[in-house]
Amino acid sequence: MGRYLIRRLLGAIPLVLGIATIIFFVLSLAPGDPVSIYTAPNVSSEVLEQMRQNMGLDQPVHVRYVRWMGSMIQGDFGVSFARNQPVREIVQQILPNTLILSLSAITLAFLTGILIGVFQAVRQNSLIDNSLSVVALFFYSMPSFWLALMLILIFSLTARNVWDWPFYFPASGMTSVGHEFMSPLEQVGDRLRHLALPSISLALVLAAGIARYMRGSLLEVIRQDYVRTARAKGLPERTVIFKHALRNALIPVVTLLGLYLPFLFSGTVFIETVFAWPGMGKLVVDAIGQRDYPVVMAGAFIFAVMVIIGNLVADLLYSVIDPRIRYE
Amino acid sequence: MRTIRRVVSVLSTLAVLALAGCGDTEGTRSYAGMPAFCQEVLPAVDAYMADFEQPTGERYGGTAVVGGIGEIADGMNALVSSDYSANQHQLFVNLMSLVRLDEALELAPYLAHSWEVNDDITELTFQLRDDIVWHDGTPTTAHDVEFTYLRATDPQTAFPNAAFWSNYVRGPDGVEVLDDHTIRFRLQEHADYMDSWRATAIMPRHLLEDVPPSELRQHPFGTRCPVGNGPFVFAEHRPDASWTFRRNPAFSEELGGPPYLERYIYRIIPEPTTLATELLTGNVDVYIAPLPDQAPAIEASSEVELRDFAFRNYVFVGWNSRRPQLADARVRRALTQATNRQQIIDALLGGYGSIANAGVPPFHWAYHEGIEDALPYNPEEARRLLDEAGWSEIGPDGIRMNAEGDRLEISIKYNPNQQRQDVAEIMQSQLRDIGVAVRPQVVEWATLLNQINSPDLRDFDGVVMGWVTEFKVDDHDLFHSEKRDTPFGWAGTEDERLDFLLDTLQLIVDRDEALPLWHEYQERLVELQPYTYFFFPQRLGGVNTRLRDVSLDARGEWVNLKDWWIPADERIR
Repeated sequence: MGRYLIRRLLGAIPLVLGIATIIFFVLSLAPGDPVSIYTAPNVSSEVLEQMRQNMGLDQPVHVRYVRWMGSMIQGDFGVSFARNQPVREIVQQILPNTLILSLSAITLAFLTGILIGVFQAVRQNSLIDNSLSVVALFFYSMPSFWLALMLILIFSLTARNVWDWPFYFPASGMTSVGHEFMSPLEQVGDRLRHLALPSISLALVLAAGIARYMRGSLLEVIRQDYVRTARAKGLPERTVIFKHALRNALIPVVTLLGLYLPFLFSGTVFIETVFAWPGMGKLVVDAIGQRDYPVVMAGAFIFAVMVIIGNLVADLLYSVIDPRIRYE
Repeated sequence: MRTIRRVVSVLSTLAVLALAGCGDTEGTRSYAGMPAFCQEVLPAVDAYMADFEQPTGERYGGTAVVGGIGEIADGMNALVSSDYSANQHQLFVNLMSLVRLDEALELAPYLAHSWEVNDDITELTFQLRDDIVWHDGTPTTAHDVEFTYLRATDPQTAFPNAAFWSNYVRGPDGVEVLDDHTIRFRLQEHADYMDSWRATAIMPRHLLEDVPPSELRQHPFGTRCPVGNGPFVFAEHRPDASWTFRRNPAFSEELGGPPYLERYIYRIIPEPTTLATELLTGNVDVYIAPLPDQAPAIEASSEVELRDFAFRNYVFVGWNSRRPQLADARVRRALTQATNRQQIIDALLGGYGSIANAGVPPFHWAYHEGIEDALPYNPEEARRLLDEAGWSEIGPDGIRMNAEGDRLEISIKYNPNQQRQDVAEIMQSQLRDIGVAVRPQVVEWATLLNQINSPDLRDFDGVVMGWVTEFKVDDHDLFHSEKRDTPFGWAGTEDERLDFLLDTLQLIVDRDEALPLWHEYQERLVELQPYTYFFFPQRLGGVNTRLRDVSLDARGEWVNLKDWWIPADERIR
C-alpha cells in the first residue's frame, strides 16, 4: 500500500509539470496583454512599456518560462499583475473560503444524495420513488446559478420584505458586518446562516445526480444472492440494506466523489459570484479576463494537483469499501 | 459503519473549528502571517490611535456599508492606480489630495490651505496645513508632496497618470521644498494645471522612500497595510470580500474634525441582483451604480431611496475612418442621424441619460448647449447624406452600393456587455432602414483591446465603447492627427483645425478666453463625427434612508463620506 502510494505520487510529478508547461504556453499564445487594464488615453505607451518591464513581461517567452518554472518549483508563484500582491498570499487568503463552502456542499450533497437514493431503491416504483425521481431530475437539469438567484429572491428578499419572517438568510458574504463583535456561539450561527444558501444551491444539483447513481447501483446489488441469503437468515431489513448491500453499492458513488474532490479547491465561479463568496473560482476567472498570468498559472497548477489527488483518494477508498480490492 | 461514523464526527469537529476560528476580535489584533512591513506599521498605527479619545455627540457612531461590484484593485497606493473606486478611496477616505473640488466644482483647499501662482504661470507654490498627521503619528509635510511628485513622474514607477504633469518640469529640477510646509513647482503655462493635485493623493515618504520605484506596484502598502492621513484609518482588507476603515479621531478640527461614522465598510458583491437584494434587505446601505432596470424596485422600497446624478462617462461608437466606406464624414453623420438615440436612452437606460454630441459632459463649464440639437434623428436627412456621398445605388437586398458596386456594410464590435450589445443591435435594425448593413460582433475584452489599439491592426469598422473623463477634458490622444498611430487613435482623425484646437485649448488659462474655442471644438466634432456619441448616462445610486447627508455627485460617491451620519436609534451595526 505504502509503495503503491509513493509510486502514484512520483508518477504524478511529470504529469503536473507537463500540464503546467502546456498551460503556460497556451496562455502566452492568447491575445491580450496584462497591462491592457491600465490602457487609457493620457497613459503613454512608455508608461505601459515600463509597466511590462516591471512585471517582467518584456522578456521572451522561453526566458519567462524558465524563470517561472524555477521559482514555482521552489513554491513561489510570483506576484499578481492585477492585484499587486504575491500570489501565494492571495491563495492563502482565498483557499480556506472555498474549502468551507465546497466541503459543506459536498458533505451535504453526499449525505442527502445517498439517503434519498437508498430510500428510493428500497421503495422502488412506489409513488414516492417516482415523485422523488421527478424532483431529482428537476434539480439536476437546473443551472445552479439560476437556482441560486431563486433562493436569494425567496429566502432573502421575499422572506424579509414580503413575508416578514423573523429569520431570513443573507444573500451574500461569509459573515455579517460586526461578526467580530459577536460571542463565539453567535459567530458559528452567523457563519452557518451565510453558508446555508450557497451550499444548498451547490448541493442540490450534486445531490440530485448522486441520488440517481445510488438508486441504480443499490437496485442492482439488492438482487444479488448474498442479499437474499441475508434476508433468508432473518436479518432485519435495516441491517440487510445498510450493512450488507449499501457497502457494495457505494463503489460507483465513490468514483463520483473522486471526480468532485478537485472542485473542493477549484470552487465554482457562478455560485461564488452570485453569493459574493470570495473563492478560487472567481479569483481564477477574473484573472483570466485580466490576463493575470501568475494567478491563472497558480490556479491551474492547484487544480491539476487536485484532480490527481482526487483520483488517488477515490482509488484508495475503493479498497476501504471493498476488501477484495488491494493495491500492491 | 463505524468508520463512517468516525469520519463524520471528525468532519463535523473540523467544520466547527473552521467556522469559529476565523474571526479575531478588536483589541487583540494580531498581524501574524502578514508581510514584515505590515507587522511593523500596523501596530504603530494602533498605538498612535489609542491615545486619542473618540468624539462624542448625537451624530457620532455607527457603521455604514457601501456595496460595489468590483474589488478596489490597486488599493490605497496612489502611485500605481488609475482605477475609479481606488481613486475615490484614496482621495476621500484614507488619504488626502492637496486640493479638492467644492459643490460648485471649484477648487477648494484641503491638504494645502492656500496656493499661489506667478503671473506667467511658471511657478506654483503650495502652503500646506500643519495639522495633518499620518496615521502612525508622523506629520505630513512638504517632503511627502515632493516624494509623491518625484515618484509619480519617475518613468520607473510607471504611474498610469504620469501625463497629469506633462506640462511640468520633470524630475528634481521641477520641485523645491522651501520649508516643511511650503513647496514650489516649476511648470509651463497651461490650462487646468491644478487638476493633477486634485486627482492624486499624497503618499507617505517615511514609509515608502526606500522602496525602488519599479517595486512600488507590488508593495504591501497598497492592499495589505496602507497608512494614510485622511479621515478614515485602514483596518482590514479581505480580498474579493471587503475593506474596513475606522474613524480617524485625530483628523484636523479645522477640516471639520473626525468623521461621524465609527466604521466604514466597502463590500464587494459582483452580482447586481444580489447587491440589489442586500440593499433592499438592509445589509448594504449604499449601492454604487445600480443598473437602470433595477431603478423601479429601489424606488418602490420605503427603506431606500434612488438617487441619480450627472457623471463623467459617456458611451459612443467609434468609427474607423481608415475604412473606405467610413472615410467620408457625411457617411458618419448619416449613421448618427439614422439612429434614434433618445429612444435608445429611454429603452436601455430607463430615461436616465441625455444625448451626447461631444465628449464634454453637461456639468462641465465648457459644455456647449448649442450643439444639443445638431444631429437630430432624421432618416430622410441620413439618406440624403448617403446619396450625396456616393452610396446612391440600392442593391437587390436593399443595401446601398456605390458606383464601384461596393456594398455599404459595416461591422460593429463590442465586448460582452448587455448594454453595448443592445446598442449595436439597435443600430443594426435602425440603419437597415436607410440601407446600411450592420454586423454586430462580440469579442472578448482583452482581445478586442488588442484589435482596436494596435496601430498596425485596427481590425474594426465601428466599436461600442465608453470613456470616463477627468474634470480636465483633453481629447488629444483620441483625435489629434499626431496621435493617429498611437493606441487610442481609433478614429484616425486628420483635421488641421481640430489639431489646432486640441493644441491650443490645453494652453489657455483664462476660461472666458477659452470658451469660444471649446464651443468651436465641439462643433467641429459634430461636423467630423469621428464617433457617434450616444449618451451621458445619469449615474444611479441606492441609499438607505438611515444614512443622513449622503451626497452623490459628479465628484464621486465617496466625496462627503466624512459627513455621513446615522441617528442613534437607527443604528443596526
